[in-house]
Amino acid sequence: MLVDIWEGTEPRPEVERFCEMWGIKGPILLDPGAELAGALGVRGVPTNVVVDSDGTIRAFGAARLDELEQAIDDLYGR
Amino acid sequence: MAVTGERHDPAFPVGAACRIDSRSPWRAIAEIPVGLDPEGIAVDNLRRRAFVACSRSDFVSVVDLETHEVITEIATGSEPIDIGLDEETGRVFSADAHSDQVTIIDSATLEVETALPVGGYPSGLTHVPEFRRLYIGNSLGSTMTVIDLDTLETVATVDAEPGAGAIGVDPTRRLAVCVNFVAASANFYDADSFEEVGRLELGVGTCAIGIVPERGEAFIVNSIAGTVSRVDLDAIEVVEEIRTGQAPVGLTVAPAHDRIYVTNRGAGSLSVLGVADGVEWSQIPVGHGPGGVVVDPHDGRILVANAGSQTMSIVEDLLAARPPAPVFEQPSTFIGGKLPAFALEDYRTGERKTNHDWAEKKYILNFFASW
Repeated sequence: MLVDIWEGTEPRPEVERFCEMWGIKGPILLDPGAELAGALGVRGVPTNVVVDSDGTIRAFGAARLDELEQAIDDLYGR
Repeated sequence: MAVTGERHDPAFPVGAACRIDSRSPWRAIAEIPVGLDPEGIAVDNLRRRAFVACSRSDFVSVVDLETHEVITEIATGSEPIDIGLDEETGRVFSADAHSDQVTIIDSATLEVETALPVGGYPSGLTHVPEFRRLYIGNSLGSTMTVIDLDTLETVATVDAEPGAGAIGVDPTRRLAVCVNFVAASANFYDADSFEEVGRLELGVGTCAIGIVPERGEAFIVNSIAGTVSRVDLDAIEVVEEIRTGQAPVGLTVAPAHDRIYVTNRGAGSLSVLGVADGVEWSQIPVGHGPGGVVVDPHDGRILVANAGSQTMSIVEDLLAARPPAPVFEQPSTFIGGKLPAFALEDYRTGERKTNHDWAEKKYILNFFASW
C-alpha cells in the first residue's frame, strides 16, 4: 500500500492528481506529519518497507525495481 | 545512510586546504527553511545570496549565504521548478512549469522584470554565458526553447521528446543536450544551427545532466533506474552506468571537474562520484527528498534543495581525493525488527487504518510524495 508523506500542504488534492496521473487504484494512507515515516527513519521517496506476515520488516529502501523484485522474492522464499 | 570505510592511511589527504581532524568526509553547515517543495537553486556570488525555486509556494526564496536567513520571497508564475542566474546582466530566470513561462528577476532590486512565454511545462533550464543563451526544456511541449540572454528574444524552439527538461551544453564541442524524462532519451543538437546531430536511449527517468568538456563526457541521471550514465560526447554513446544512492534526481559538476554531486531523493543524501573512476566516493546526508544541487563558487560549499523537508542544506565535501575504501550502504536498523504500530487515515474511505488491519499478511509500504 502507498503512504503519502511530506506534501507540505493539504494532501488530498495532491494525492488525487497523482493517482489520476499514474492510474493508481490501491489503498493509500495519509501520513501528513510523517509520523510513521519518521519512526522508521525514512529520509526520501520512494522508500519501500517490506513487511512479513508476523509484522517483521524484511527490507527497507528498495527504490530500484530490481531491488524491490529481489525483496519480494526473498519475502516469498522464491 | 551510507558511509565510507576506515581511513587510517596517513597518505589519505582530507580537506581542501588543510587536514581536518574528522572521521566524516563531509560537514553539515546549515539547513535553512524555505518555501514548499524547493527544487532549484541559483547562487548570486556577487551579493552572497541563493535563489531557491519553491514550486509549491509559487515563489523564490532569497537566502543570505552569510547569515543563512531568508531575506525575502519573490512571487513568480505557478510552480517555479528550476532556476538560473546570469552574472553579466544580473538576471535570475525561473522556469515556472505550470505557467508555461520563464520569470525574470532583477537580482539587484529583487523585483520581477518580466515573464517570457515558453513551451508547455518548462521543467529545466540552463544558462550558458559563453553563448549568451538560455536553454529551456519544455516537458509537455516536448520542445527546447532557446532565449537570448541580453535581448530576451526567443532564438529558437526546437523539437525534443516527451519529458524534455534538463539541458547540458558543451561549449567546446558547441553541443546542446536535451534530456527527456518520459522518453528516457537525450537529443543532441548543434548549438549554433540547432540541428539534431544525435540521439541516445537512456535509463528510465532521465532527469539531470552535467558536462565535463575537457573529457568529452556528459553524466546523465536516470532516476528510476538508479544510475548515472557516462556518455562519450564525440561518439554519442553510453560508455558506463554508475550506481548511486536511491532515486537520484539532481546533478552538478564540482568546480575542479574531478567529481560530480548527485542528490538521492530516495535516500536523503548526496552522492560524491569520481569523474575519472566512476566510483561513489561518499554519501553526504542532507534533508529529506533532495533534488536541485549547486556548488557555491565562493567557498565550494554545496547547496541542496530538499523537497521533503522544505529546506536548503549547505554542506561541505571534505574529501580531497578518492578515499581508500568505497562507500557502502548501511542497512536500516529496523530490518529484522517489528514495524511500529500505526494508525493512519485511508485517503479513499477516510477511515483510520492500523497495522492490525494487515495482520498476518505480507505487504509493502511504499512511502511517496506527489512532487
